[in-house]
Order: sequence, then C-alpha cells, then structure tokens
Amino acid sequence: MKKLLTLLLALSMLLAGSTRALAEEEFLIGLIPEENIFKQMKKHKPFADYMTKQLGMPVRFTILSRYPHIITRFVERGMDAAIFGTFTAVLAQESLGVKPLTRSVSLDGSTTTNGYVFTRKDTGIKDINGMRGKKVAFVDQVTATGYLYLISLMNERGVGNVDDFFKERYYTGSHDSTIYTVLSGKADVGVAKSRIMDELSRKDPLLSEELDILYKSDNLPDNTLCVRKDLPEELAERLKRILLNMHKDPEGQKVLEVMEVKQFVIAGTSEFEPVRSMARKAGINLKDFNYDY
Amino acid sequence: MRNKIIFSLLILFILFLAGSGLTMLYLYNTTSNLQSVIDLHRVEIIRQDLVISAQTVQSHLYSFGTAFGKELDVIVENVIDLDNSARRCLQCHHNEEITQRLEEVVSLVEQYQDALSYLITTSANKERIERLRMVAIGIGTTVLSKAQEMAIIAGQKLNEKTYMSLQEINNSRVILLITLVLSFFIAIAIAVTMTRQITEPIYELVDATRRIQGGDLGYTTHYRGKDEFGELIDSFNEMSLSLDESNRKIMRNLNSLSNLYSMTLGFHSLTDVSEIYRELSYGAADLVGAEQCGLLLLDGDHFVHVHPAVGVDRFTTEGLVIPKNKVLDMYVPQNRRALVINGNISSSPTAELDRKVNTRNLIFVWVRQKADIVGIIRVANKKSGEFTPEDVHPLAILANNVSVALENAKLYDDLRRQMQQLKDAQEQLIQAAKLVAIGELASNVAHELNNPLTSVLGYAELMKEEKDIEGMLGDLDVIEKECLRAKDIIRQLLEFSRKRELKIVNTSLADILRESIDLIRIQTRNNRIKIEEDIEPSTSIMADPNQLKQVFLNLFNNAFHAMGDSGTLSISVRTIDGSVHTKIADTGKGISEEHLPRIFEPFFSTKQDKGTGIGLSVSYKIIQSHNGRIEVESKENVGTTFTVILPSNVTEPMPS
Repeated sequence: MKKLLTLLLALSMLLAGSTRALAEEEFLIGLIPEENIFKQMKKHKPFADYMTKQLGMPVRFTILSRYPHIITRFVERGMDAAIFGTFTAVLAQESLGVKPLTRSVSLDGSTTTNGYVFTRKDTGIKDINGMRGKKVAFVDQVTATGYLYLISLMNERGVGNVDDFFKERYYTGSHDSTIYTVLSGKADVGVAKSRIMDELSRKDPLLSEELDILYKSDNLPDNTLCVRKDLPEELAERLKRILLNMHKDPEGQKVLEVMEVKQFVIAGTSEFEPVRSMARKAGINLKDFNYDY
Repeated sequence: MRNKIIFSLLILFILFLAGSGLTMLYLYNTTSNLQSVIDLHRVEIIRQDLVISAQTVQSHLYSFGTAFGKELDVIVENVIDLDNSARRCLQCHHNEEITQRLEEVVSLVEQYQDALSYLITTSANKERIERLRMVAIGIGTTVLSKAQEMAIIAGQKLNEKTYMSLQEINNSRVILLITLVLSFFIAIAIAVTMTRQITEPIYELVDATRRIQGGDLGYTTHYRGKDEFGELIDSFNEMSLSLDESNRKIMRNLNSLSNLYSMTLGFHSLTDVSEIYRELSYGAADLVGAEQCGLLLLDGDHFVHVHPAVGVDRFTTEGLVIPKNKVLDMYVPQNRRALVINGNISSSPTAELDRKVNTRNLIFVWVRQKADIVGIIRVANKKSGEFTPEDVHPLAILANNVSVALENAKLYDDLRRQMQQLKDAQEQLIQAAKLVAIGELASNVAHELNNPLTSVLGYAELMKEEKDIEGMLGDLDVIEKECLRAKDIIRQLLEFSRKRELKIVNTSLADILRESIDLIRIQTRNNRIKIEEDIEPSTSIMADPNQLKQVFLNLFNNAFHAMGDSGTLSISVRTIDGSVHTKIADTGKGISEEHLPRIFEPFFSTKQDKGTGIGLSVSYKIIQSHNGRIEVESKENVGTTFTVILPSNVTEPMPS
C-alpha cells in the first residue's frame, strides 16, 4: 500500500513538474493549518497582495487541509511553494525534494520554535508519568511540535506506546485547536507549538494562568517557505530577494506586522537536523513515512 | 438709505435662508432616506451574497465527503465572503433590532468558520469527521435561516423609507416654489420702493446743481430726509450757502483789490510826496471804511504826522511826535505785524492825538524800506464796527506801495536835481568850447581890428594935416567907416561869446554859414588857404543860429588846423530827401583810422597840447539836440569831410 502510494505520488509529481515547468497564470502558495484556517487566510491576504505587486504575477494562498493530506495536496493542487511546519518541511524535502527558501523571524526575534507539552493546572499532572491513562490531544501526526516531540519524549522515557499509555487521543488538526481542546477539558494533555501558545497567551493572559507547560523541546526551525524543486531558478531567486528585503520596505513592514512576523531570513536544509533526530527517536522512517486513520 | 438697503437685503436673505433651510432640511431628510434605501438595497445585495456564499458552502458540505480537493478553496473563499458580508452589514446598520440580528449572524458565521476549520483540519475517524460535518451544516442552516428573516425586515424598511423619501421630495418642491415666488414679489417691491427713494433726492440734487451752475449761488433744495440722501442734501445746501458766501467774499476782496490796484497804480506815477500823502490818506480811509487816515514819517529819531490827511488837520497834529524807540518797542513784539487796537485806545502810541480826535479804534500799519521802519499808516475809527484782520491785509499792501512810492519820489527828486546839474554842466561845457573857439579866433580878430584902427590912426594923422574942412570931413568919413567896421567885428564876437539859452527859430542856414565864414576868412590872409562856397541861398531850417554857428566855427577851425598853411576848404549845402546836408571838406592831413571812431568822445584830441578835445563832442551834442547828426569821412594825407545833416524843418528840438 505504502509503495503504491509513493509511486502514485512520484508519478503525480512528475506530471505536475512537466505541466508546471514555469509559473503559470498565478503563483500558488500552500499554508499548513496552524490555526483557524480562515484567520490564517485573512492574515495572509495582505501578504498575497504585496507579493502579487512585487512579483508581477497573481499570488494566491491555499490551505493545505489536514496534515495527512499536505504532501498529496501540494502535488495535486500544483503548488509552487508552501509555508511548511517544522516536520512537514522535512517530509516535503524528503518526499518531494522541495527547497527551503526563507524562514520567518517571530516578533521576539526568534527564528525557531519549540514544542510544548502542557496540561491544565486542575489535572494535577506534573510529569510524563502522570499522563498515563489520560486523554491526550495532538495536532497531527505530521507535526514536530504537535506530535513528534511528545512521542520522542515518551520513547526516550520508555513509557510505552501511545495507544496503551493514553486513555484516549485526539488529532485536532491545528495547534490552537489542541490548546482549546485541553482548555475545554476534552483532553487532559496537549502538545503544541510554543509560538502559537505564546501568541494566544499574549491575546488572552488568562490562558497562561490555566495551563501548565510540563516539557519544552529544543529549538526547532519554525515555518519555512519551500519552493517546488522545479521552480525556475530566476523566479525562486526573485522571490527570495523580495522576501529578504520586505522588512526594509514600509509597505512590506505593514504586511509583516499583520502576519506577526519581524522579517524573513534565508533557510537551509541543515537546520532541520534536530527534527530528523527527533523523528529517529520517535521511530519514524522519514523516507517511508505515511499514515492514515 | 443704507439701513433701508441693508434691511431689505436682510429680509430677502432671511427669506432665502428660511426657504433654503427648509428645502435643505427636506432634502437632507430625503437624501438620508434615499441613502437608507440605497443602504437597504446594498444590504439586500450583501445578504444575497451572504446567502449565496452560505448555500455554496452548504452544498459542498452536503455533496462532498470528508476529504477535500479543489473544492476546499471554494469553501474557504465562500466562507471568507460570508464573513465579510456579515461584517459589512454590521457596519451599515444602527437600528438596534437589525444590529442585534446582524450580531447574531456574525456570531453564527464565526461559529460556522470555527466548525468548518475544525472539520477541514481535523484528522480523526470517519464518524467523528461526520459529526463535525453535521455540526457545520447545522450552523450553516441557521445562518441561512437568519439571513432570510433579515430579508423580510429589510423589505419592510425599504418600503417605509421609499415612501418617506417621496413625501420629503414633495415637501421640498413646495417650499422651494413658495420661496421663489415670495422672493420674487418682495424683491420687486423693494426695487420699486428703493428706486423711488433713491431717484427723488438725486433729481433734486441734479436740479440744484444746474441752478448753481447757472449762477444761482446759495440755492438750497427742499428735500428733507433722515437717510444718507438727507445728509447729502444738507451738506449740499451748506456747500451752496458756503459757496455763495465765499463768492461774496471773493467779490468783496476783488473790489477791495481793485480799489487797491487803482490806488497803488496812481502811486507809481506820483512824484510829489504831498500827492502821495493825499492819495494814501483818502484811499486807505476809503478802502477799509475809516473816518481817519494819515501817515507818520520818520524824521530823525521821531515820527511826525504829515499832511494832507483825512479826519485829522494840521492844527491837531502840530507838535505831535512819536519817538522811534517807542515805535520799535511796539513793532518788534508785534513781530512786524500791524497793530490793531479795538477799544483800549490808551495803549496807542498816539494816545494824545487819539484823545483829541475821539478815536474809537485804530490800526497802525508799518511802512518799511529795506529792513527799517520809515513810516506808520494810521487808520482810525472804522465806520462799521471794529477793525478785522481782513482790513489789515490791503493796508499792508498799501504800506508796501507807499514805501515804494516814497522811494520813487525821493529818487525822482534826486534825478531831477542831477539832471539839472548835468544841464548846467553841459551849458558850461558849451560855453567853454565857445570860448576856446573865440580864443582860437582872437589873433585874427586882433589883426582884423588892427586894420581899421591903423586906418583910423592914419586918417587921424592925415586929418591933422588937412587944410580944408572938406578934406577933414573926408578923412572923418573914412575914420567913421573904419570904426563902424571895428564895431561890427566886436559886435559879432560879443554876439557869439554871449551865454544864451537854446532858442530855436526859423533861420537861414546860408546866413549862419556866411557869418561863420566871415569870422574865419581873416585867417586866409596870412596863408594860402582857399575857401570855396557852394551854398543854396534859400535853405531855411529851425535852429538856434548861435549854436549852429559854434558848430561850424569849430569844424572850420579844425579844418584850418588840419590844412596848415595851404589847402582848400569846400563848403556846400544841399537839400536831400527833406534833410539839409552841409558838407565841410578840407584837404588837410586827415584822421587816422585808429582815431576816427573816437573823435566825438569828450576830451579826445589829435592836436597834442593845442586842443581841449571838447569841440567835436559839444558839436555832436548840439546837432543831436537839433534832431540831426554829424557824419565824417577821412583819409590820411587826403583830407576830411564832415557832413552836418539837419532836418529841413526842425519843430521839436530834443531837450539838452
């Protein structure tokens, strides 16, 4: 089954590559569902307009839907680029050969993010052992900060597999949903991206009073803009220059403010090594990674 | 008038303002209602967009499974449009009910978004995904239901607002029409009234201006108003009266100046100071209408009243003197202006005189020559009231003229005296020249007298030797004849030498010339000078024979002197063009060109120490006094010709 899927993927990529050798009438960028997709789309609308103006061709964002379908949708929708999460970026590099172009710098100046393992204060959970038999909320299996971190942590501590350890598990699809699932009591433990939690805490200070962060991962490269491997070099270079200089342009600064991003910096493949290491600890083979429900 | 205009315009303005205000109010209401109608239509469009978006999403939710392909973009776009429509609606409305409903819709849309986002992004088993899909569909259905409810409310509002707008438009039309009609009639009424009120005084003014232009100075109009035109007419009337008064004043001044001119004109021809005193006194008294007027003149260190004067006789002023210092004490503090005393006569410098002649008021006008005060014009007792500054001005002019007249009189007197002296000197000069001429004749006269005397002596000796009476009587006859001849010579000499007044008579030029030639002929006996005569015998002229004889003798003597021992003296008389030309030509040594222009200058002589240089200059003046002239032509070593040209009938000889 996995081999067949990989073959199909490779075939579709080949087809996509042949049909989209050069940018067509629009430049399509995929967004991983980090938070409410409509909010995400709104947040990225000025960015799309700005890029349209700078690049001289229509730029549009689309949602990559559920995490399992991200790679598939990237190929099916014939996307030129996508803002991948930490783990999906690694997966896409491995399976699609996408090239990391730029990474966003958060408002606090950080270019990396962390995974938080957290619980509600009223659960009384203090460490990983306290989570046994509890309900857990993941973002998705293809997130480093929303899944992989906790799995690697569990493997490291030797607490057993997920199915046996937790009473029940949810895949909420987005980091904010995971946080709200724990907050609403549907789950006792959650794992999510530190940047999303910090943003929500900034907007809702009560949130940090209600939640207790139990574990924090090492620094992991945050959202990275990757372009398809066959994107013309000239276009990729132009795109990179625009993004790297955006913070110097007053109009670009306004767009960055809306996106809650300070600026863009150059991204490289080597920065994803910690993620690969985390995957290994979690027992995941990146080349053959696939999952379904 | 200004107030009326402002008031009228204010009424019009208020009317327009009221009409415009009401119209604006109705228009505002209308536009507000229309805006509401438009907004409601927009809302309806938005609502329809909202419904379409919601229905699209719902249809996708019903028709598709849990996996999303391209339709995901359609769902996302439609939900975003749905959200935008709901929020746009919320921004437009302020009605509480609508706002509340819209807020509900917006809230439902947010819930819808959350449910959809959750559905789209959640990775879970099919049952759970299905549950999430149903939740989203449920919310979407509620959104659609709410949107339909709002459509009914919006429709009702739309009808209501449309009806109100039409009503307001009708009201605006009526108000605008009323305003325009009212404004038109009021403006007409104002225009007619204002035109009448403006033109009436203007016509009055035009009429008055024409009358004044026609010479009716002082004409005043009868328009009486309390507006600006009333003020203008009042000012015009005042101006007219003032113009009349000014004109009268000018005429008075012109009259006064005319009198002054006549008077001062007379002064310039007066050389007798008494005449000046009289003219001044009577003229000044008449000029200012005074009873008394006289002049006090500086005599040494005192001012003395001179006569004739008006209102003051010699007896009254006798002994009256004013020290110069006293006058200067008044003159200087007055800053050289005339002294006017009305009432307080005791301060007058002529108080003594003033008491005697009952002076009521007076003016002292100073008569100045150069920087000095030389006289005072005293004018007293104005016939009508008191003296005014207007009286002073002509008197001051008069004083200046009197000063000039007095100076002229003095100059004239000096000139007359000098002329007399000149005349006397000239007469003496003529006499001297005559004596010189006689002196030059003296030896000849002596020789001429010697001959008869020698004859007398010879015949007296002879008579002593005569034997008979007849011989003696014969000798006595010769002696008598020779004595008579000597007597005649002496008579002629005496006749010539006598000092006489100029006496013009009708005389024969030939006789004068012959008598002159006779006096010089004696000189030809001792030399070889020949006298040639070519004289018209009947030539008569008006002249003083004695003076003409002096001229001819002088010219003959000069000729003799020029010729020396020999030569020819040619004397001719011709009448040419009413003038008698007497030519006296000699063949002497002539006069050099250098000396020729100067020969008639007094005391110029070419005779070295033998001449006085007065002969020719006196001759020239004598001939000039007979309205004649002397011309001279001369060439060195050839001779000189003098031509005496006299009018053939001299009637008015020039004064010498």
